[in-house]
Amino acid sequence: MIKVALAGQPNCGKSTIFNLVSGIHQHVANYPGVTVDKKVGRFDYKDKKIEIVDLPGTYSFSSYSLEERVAKDFLYDESPDIIVNIVDASNIKRHLYLTFQLLEIGIPVVIVLNMMDVASRRGIYIDAPKIQEMLGAPVVCASGAKGEGGEAIMEAIVLAYQQKEQYQNFKINYEELEAFIHEIEAEIAEVNVPLNRRWLAIKILEEDKALVEKLGDNFTYLQEKAKACEERFHATYDKDISAFLAAIRYDSADVIFHKCVKVTKSHEETLTDKVDKIVLNRWLAFPILLLVMFLVYELSIVYGYKLTDYTWPLLAMFKNFVIDILPEPDLIRVPMMTDLSIWMVNSAIALINYIPIFFILFALIAIMEDVGYMPRLAFILDKVFKKFGLHGQSTLPLVLGGAMVGGCAVPGVMSTKGIADERARMATILAVPYMNCLAKVPFYTLLLGAFFKEEMGLMMFYISTVTLFIALIVSKLLTSTVLKNRETAPFVMELPPYHLPTFKGVIIRSAQRVWVYINKVVTIVLAVAIVLFAMLQFPGLSEESQQKYDEKIVQALSTFDTKVKKSSYYERVDTKEEVSALINYYDNYKAKRMVVSGAEGAKSVDESFLKKDAKLFIFVKPENDKDAKMINSALRQISNVRKDVLRQIKNEKIENSFLGMVGHSMEPVTQFAGFDWKINVAFLSSFAARESAVATLGSLYENNKADSKRAEEAMYENSGYTPLHAVAIIIFMILTPPCIATMIVVKMQSNSYKWMFFAIFFPITLGVIISSFLFSFGSVAGWSGVEAMSYFYVVVVFLALFLGLIPNRQNGWLGGFKHKSS
Amino acid sequence: MHLGELRKGQKCTLVNIHGAGKLKQKLLDMGFIFGVDIEVVREAPLYDPMELRIQNYLVSLRRNEATLLEVKVL
Repeated sequence: MIKVALAGQPNCGKSTIFNLVSGIHQHVANYPGVTVDKKVGRFDYKDKKIEIVDLPGTYSFSSYSLEERVAKDFLYDESPDIIVNIVDASNIKRHLYLTFQLLEIGIPVVIVLNMMDVASRRGIYIDAPKIQEMLGAPVVCASGAKGEGGEAIMEAIVLAYQQKEQYQNFKINYEELEAFIHEIEAEIAEVNVPLNRRWLAIKILEEDKALVEKLGDNFTYLQEKAKACEERFHATYDKDISAFLAAIRYDSADVIFHKCVKVTKSHEETLTDKVDKIVLNRWLAFPILLLVMFLVYELSIVYGYKLTDYTWPLLAMFKNFVIDILPEPDLIRVPMMTDLSIWMVNSAIALINYIPIFFILFALIAIMEDVGYMPRLAFILDKVFKKFGLHGQSTLPLVLGGAMVGGCAVPGVMSTKGIADERARMATILAVPYMNCLAKVPFYTLLLGAFFKEEMGLMMFYISTVTLFIALIVSKLLTSTVLKNRETAPFVMELPPYHLPTFKGVIIRSAQRVWVYINKVVTIVLAVAIVLFAMLQFPGLSEESQQKYDEKIVQALSTFDTKVKKSSYYERVDTKEEVSALINYYDNYKAKRMVVSGAEGAKSVDESFLKKDAKLFIFVKPENDKDAKMINSALRQISNVRKDVLRQIKNEKIENSFLGMVGHSMEPVTQFAGFDWKINVAFLSSFAARESAVATLGSLYENNKADSKRAEEAMYENSGYTPLHAVAIIIFMILTPPCIATMIVVKMQSNSYKWMFFAIFFPITLGVIISSFLFSFGSVAGWSGVEAMSYFYVVVVFLALFLGLIPNRQNGWLGGFKHKSS
Repeated sequence: MHLGELRKGQKCTLVNIHGAGKLKQKLLDMGFIFGVDIEVVREAPLYDPMELRIQNYLVSLRRNEATLLEVKVL
């Protein structure tokens, strides 16, 4: 098998070429120990098996950035057979800077001049054979976006592999530095590595610590030696080694440029220049940015949500199918198997339901990345976010997390990957979960509907805008405390030319990201759902209660029996088993009728139930049969009694369950925030998926008389809460920790369980403290709910503005005129 | 004179980088070598960062980082 590494600077169209040669035969993993994507593709060409690994895009091969370290580690540890270097033909000089560094490594290089179409449109003519001759490396012309050149690249790879033995190491004459290179090279003459020793010597002179460490303990002295060389070089020539190397490499690139490239249209305004004049215009930049963000939000969240109207029936069908094949309940004894399966199916479809939204979202992100809007977005807003320890590139994650009426932290956290500044990236990962989660909205609606009917609009405005300020405060606090010493990166960011994205590239990328979600998130959430189920089910009802409920249902059965005795159909319902089957039949019928609409749908349900059991159908729809009507009315009654008893059982089970116990045991602390055990349980159960908080609360407060009261009213009447209680609950919910799905992506992106646990417990502590303070203080001061919320809002906004004025320290690099005197 | 003082439309050549470590290496790798021509294409809507044309491509730089680059205005 031929092992190929694909290298190139960012924006050279590397992934287009990667997709071109490997098609859909690719998979994404991480490089060991880091969160950098490792894409591997496999394909056959002329009976040769080829494995191609996409290295992270890097401008150079120094070891200051994570991507550079990863790429270099790969070359060192795996020593591929061939390096394919993608070069943007329309910006050849800067891209050749990397090419020279790749040539020095000692592995044969195939140079691919990509975007030849763009180059010729700009009047740039490249003499490829001449470059091939000058660099001693095969040069292939391609145009990835148009799908041209794939075959030629494969051909060149195979040819280079076959001629590998004849490959001679490439050498740049580093003039004054040569003596130093020879000196170091002599020191490592005995080292057994497949790479070029001269290259290693140059890297050591560049003070590449990671590389020296790889050579083993015997060579650590080389670090000192490199330092000494640097000082000697500086003393003799008044130049730094790093600057000297960069200058020679750029000069070499310049030589190639002048000998092999002809530019006919000089200084003509490109399309990118024209577009940037509008997109980055001082007055138009913000309106356009808002429009783009609005479109992304509208298309993914709003339209994606509408799309779930079409996918939801499919999921509901699946759920009904599962329910149909499960064992039926025997009056009030529901088989554990049935309960668990329904719970699991519910948890799964709640998450799967988001897939259309995520797919659209990831596709739009991929388009914005390919077009080149992302760095421009960062360019426009960097000044604002910088003040809070964030980065211009934090904009998109925060918007996705829910800058408007609700988003989702999962794609938000996933899109932090590209942020170059390590400290800002961590701060963004930890701040995004504070944004307004879409699944929290029903919970707010429930509470607002119950306690703030009049002020609903104002309260919703507070809730949806306060989240951004909280996220900013949190990131400021974190970057000036626990993240203080994290590496920061300079904002040296390329603004690449605009490109049209390719359909294939966008689809592949969004499908890969959706797959990560399904693969990593859904599976773990389901595992947690089982644990949560057990915690809500066990230890279950006491003997006495079970007996009490059994008696109730026995009583209901005897009432039913007396009522239907005179019916001529009596022998169809004279045993307990028959009645139980009839109730299940009736309830199933009702459930099916609820989900269909129109006369047509009703008819088809009728037909299917008639087919299932014609003998029972007459009790469900008695028409004018008097004796059947008698049973029908008794049936309705007993069905309601059963539902009622089941609900009471559920409530009692929850209260007695382990989770209920935890909820009770937390009351001594949470009472200061005004939370009773029911709220505690609702919060605890909301970990699996936010949606379940509403379901749990709803069922806890539902009136035990089976009337048609809405959950809002039931809660208002039965809970005994005041609006101040509701505000404390809402504020805790705003601050509340991320759901499990988010925690998993936090773990993935921060690559540490420590930060995941931090992301859980920090918000809980913050939430308990703030809601306790507000509730206790508000109770004493006699604030109304709206007053309390308004005070909270004003304080948060002012705190955010104040914190924005405190400057952050930059780490990882020093210098400037202030150091010149020392 | 340093690059941070320049306004939109001005051109200069790089004389020296008064930085060390990561920032300096990054700047060198991005083509900020001595003697190179730099043009300030525009400033961000909030004045900072600035967009530069160097080595025939566009790059953005925060103003406080630009102050580390000693330049000669053309």
